[in-house]
Amino acid sequence: MQPELALQFANVTTIVVGAAIVLGTITAAIMEGRAVNRAFDNMARQPSVADRIRGLIFVTLALLESTAIYVLLICLILLFANPFAGAFGF
Amino acid sequence: MGIESAFPQVLWTIGGVPIKDSVFFTWLIIAVLLVFSALAFRKFSAEKPATWQLAIEYGIEYVESLITDTIGRTLPQTVPYLATMLLYIGLANILGLFPAMRSPTRDINTTAALSIVSFISTQYYGAQHRGIKKQFLSVFEPVALMFPLNLISIISRVMSMALRLFGNVIAGEIVGLTIFSLVPVFVPLVFYLLSMITGLLQALVFTVLTIAFIADAMKLDE
Repeated sequence: MQPELALQFANVTTIVVGAAIVLGTITAAIMEGRAVNRAFDNMARQPSVADRIRGLIFVTLALLESTAIYVLLICLILLFANPFAGAFGF
Repeated sequence: MGIESAFPQVLWTIGGVPIKDSVFFTWLIIAVLLVFSALAFRKFSAEKPATWQLAIEYGIEYVESLITDTIGRTLPQTVPYLATMLLYIGLANILGLFPAMRSPTRDINTTAALSIVSFISTQYYGAQHRGIKKQFLSVFEPVALMFPLNLISIISRVMSMALRLFGNVIAGEIVGLTIFSLVPVFVPLVFYLLSMITGLLQALVFTVLTIAFIADAMKLDE
């Protein structure tokens, strides 16, 4: 019985980590694309504020990226430092 | 050499206290910055500025322009602290790309310490501007009922800044290790460039967020 549960734990963890990473990165990428899209449109419409927008783009992208980084950190914890792994013999 | 080598390892112990490599490289960065400051500041002059003096003044003006762009006014008393943070975090993130050296910011303890110092600095500059008693009671503003929300916002700010910096640096290291184990020859260079860009960018983001939080704590509009 014990090896069956350990295999199931490993499978479920892997599938969940894969799904979480996919969802996290897709959301971050889509939202960053929309932000940059709107920023580029307005930079082309008003070249005088182009410099200010260019400075803000990088900070905004880093802030949006950090949500994807949070998802990555949770997945790393689940894979390498899983607190429940000891009960299954890992 | 598995993934575990991306995380900080203990180098040696001094009197029973284990010294991790992140602590050692923090000392290295401190030593480098101190030596650089001592050498560069010896020949300051207003009439004939040397090249290093112009470079340092350019850096200070860059930090002041960051403050002006973020909050619309200047805070000259915060410039030394912010310039130090920018310089240290930028150097610390880049350090891992040099041979035989690792970034101190890939240790969650380093980034958590930087984030806590940032929070303490917001309270310090807020107290400098508004008085200590008002700053201590600022968690009850604008209404005493906002105390849980203010507390949650403080905790979430500190945690998010620490985790953002740590996550970016450790993700760069793990991806670099993985790619190096797959294709050791030219492909890791691309990831080196990416790590360099994100390292400097995260230093900038940390500084800009600290500026925003300091301005928020100082309540400049009242």
